Amino acid sequence: MKVDLSQWHPVASSSDLPLRHVYQGQLWGHELAIWRADDGHVNVWENRCLHRGVRLSIGLNEGSELRCLYHGWRYANRTAGCTYIPAHPADAPARTVCNNAYQCIEKYGLVWSVVAPERSFETPVTLTDTVPLTLRAIQINAPSDLVQKFATDYPYGMVTHKSDTSMTLQSGVSELQLFFQPVDSGKTIIRGLLIPQPIDPIVALRHHNAMMTALRDKIELAVSGLAPPRAIEVEFKPVAKDLAQMPNINTAGPKVELRAKVARKWLTAQQVMAFRLEAFSEQFPTFQPGAHIDVSLPNGMLRQYSLTNGPGQTDHYTIGVKRDVASRGGSICLHDDVQEGDVIAISAPHNNFPLRRDAVKTILISGGIGITPLLSMAQALKAQELPFELHIFVQTKADLAFPEILQDLDALTKIYMGLSPRATRNVISGVLANYVAAQHVYICGPGVMLEAAREAAKKCGWPDEAVHFEYFKNSKEIDDKTTFEIALSRSALTLQVPAGKTILQILRENGIEVPSSCEQGACGTCLMTVIGGEPDHQDVYLSTKEKASNQKIITCVSRSKSNQLVLDI
Amino acid sequence: MKLYDYELSGNCYKVRLFLSILGLNFDTKPVDFYPGREHKSKALLSLNPLGQLPIFEDSDAIFCGSDVILSYIAENYDKSGFWYPKKQRLSIDNWMRVADEITATASAARLHDTFFYDLDIDTARAGAHRLFRILDEHLWFSEKRGDDWLVETPFPTIADISCFPYVALSEEGGISRMDFPAIRRWCDRVKRIDGFITMPGIFPTSKAA
Repeated sequence: MKVDLSQWHPVASSSDLPLRHVYQGQLWGHELAIWRADDGHVNVWENRCLHRGVRLSIGLNEGSELRCLYHGWRYANRTAGCTYIPAHPADAPARTVCNNAYQCIEKYGLVWSVVAPERSFETPVTLTDTVPLTLRAIQINAPSDLVQKFATDYPYGMVTHKSDTSMTLQSGVSELQLFFQPVDSGKTIIRGLLIPQPIDPIVALRHHNAMMTALRDKIELAVSGLAPPRAIEVEFKPVAKDLAQMPNINTAGPKVELRAKVARKWLTAQQVMAFRLEAFSEQFPTFQPGAHIDVSLPNGMLRQYSLTNGPGQTDHYTIGVKRDVASRGGSICLHDDVQEGDVIAISAPHNNFPLRRDAVKTILISGGIGITPLLSMAQALKAQELPFELHIFVQTKADLAFPEILQDLDALTKIYMGLSPRATRNVISGVLANYVAAQHVYICGPGVMLEAAREAAKKCGWPDEAVHFEYFKNSKEIDDKTTFEIALSRSALTLQVPAGKTILQILRENGIEVPSSCEQGACGTCLMTVIGGEPDHQDVYLSTKEKASNQKIITCVSRSKSNQLVLDI
Repeated sequence: MKLYDYELSGNCYKVRLFLSILGLNFDTKPVDFYPGREHKSKALLSLNPLGQLPIFEDSDAIFCGSDVILSYIAENYDKSGFWYPKKQRLSIDNWMRVADEITATASAARLHDTFFYDLDIDTARAGAHRLFRILDEHLWFSEKRGDDWLVETPFPTIADISCFPYVALSEEGGISRMDFPAIRRWCDRVKRIDGFITMPGIFPTSKAA
């Protein structure tokens, strides 16, 4: 039998995919895990977890993510990117950890897919804009070409059209479309569509089921004496070389490789503009809760904004931008100059604020616009039914951003309005009062509030590693007057950092590329390992413990107390 | 209540599952079925001369065989009356016969593959395939009617409990359920019954949307 992997075939009925189910399918020997997310999107994936090869069809469809039953790796709806690895709860999985997905489309009550597409899906010529009745699929233990031969005798009507993959039978004004899904070399599924919908569908379904079963028995009897053909050997795509190796350390600086359309711009709260960004290609890359993107602005600036999206929402990204008159002009530009319909450049998501999903309870505390990354976290925790609290501090009700998302979280959310700094501190102390092992707290808000919360956590006995925070910006005065030497151990280079220049600048000037994002000591992208010397920490990214260890440095702001700093680059 | 129990037995699991769903407390007496063959010991044969599990003891009475035990528990402890309703008894009993057939085929294949029983594996698997085709067709048309369960009732019955375990364990006997999508969906529904418990080889599913 001729194997043609480039043909589109129906691989499931729409009704095979109720919510929270994983359908097990197969096409040309390639096993498929097919599942519908709660948003209706159908995913057709290779039926194999990247990690240990366990079938994803025994995995758990949790609505926006599919969880492997073996070690709990989670894969996102739409992108198939891995969003969480339980064995590494504190780390964000690399974006390159992504399951093999097949192209698919849901149409005419069937889900269509293809192993090795050469063209996009084309509607079979005989199908028009009708809503056909999808017959019960019949699986036959015989090769597809043989099944097609027998099917010409199907007692319905004249065969009016035939292709490699389908057949049309006409009876009066009614039509029966038969599609032959080559499951494997010796197995075929017939999927039928009846056009138009008959008056009594159940009777028609019963009738065709009986006829089709009789056809199956006839075919299976015909092949009963024969040795079954050898199963198709499936070639598994090996992991790309650059993924299988340790990546190079130096990747370029800020990179805004994606184009996004501003699909909607609206005032979500006083002074806070929300932007719904949509991808030109079908999907944006996978993100994890807590992730941010770099946005390149028309005025040449690069700014970081957290994604507010819930799990599995990669058809669009939504960000919230607070108008900050005192700022360097990034927010003003977005508020005033960027309009609906504009195209802007953004980066793929970075995550320096990853959410653990193994906490006995997660406490989220936000101040003002700091709500944005926590919204993403709250939605992920809610979807997974993990216990959490969300505490929101705002000045007035008009300052509450994204109320429509908050509405869905309501019972778990507490909103505090117009509290003084002192009162805020008291409330936070109360929230953090009873530390229990394996609780985690995530704080995002203005610097003063973060300092207060970190202090309160410390007083209440929270260990450093259970307190996660993200500053909007580094409001500390940066002292760049010192002069020192940096020794780059891997590059065998020694460079001078004069007053007025940063380590990052000196590295770049000497041809060493370092990824960076905010360049003000808040985001952690330019983090580097220190081998020798004593850093002069000026960032707000590292925790007190990390700073005291002298093993890490944020190279865009921090400098050296010792004459020389040895860096692992 | 006491269950003479073997953790890896699907028939014992039927009883454990049903007791768990009804929220009843019971004691278990573990029996070394494999490799100890304790079910063929004198002590156990005095309880069940057929030398089979499960055996169920309640107020000094002894019940043998999962179907008998399920009906006994439903009649005496199910306050809802949904699990073994009088009106549908014939239909339920009928599906319990099917469950016996599933045991004779799918469970036999599993005994061959995992417990090294000497039996005709091809016949066992072919028989299971034949039954699964019948079951899948039945469940597919039930779904079209809007019914979730084997018997035409709005609630699951002991017919579902009785048929479920050896269907769900079929892969341990080399019988894939890929060709039976309606069975796979029904398995998800059974797994979402309040009080559902797992056993080795029968995994949980996600919560309903």
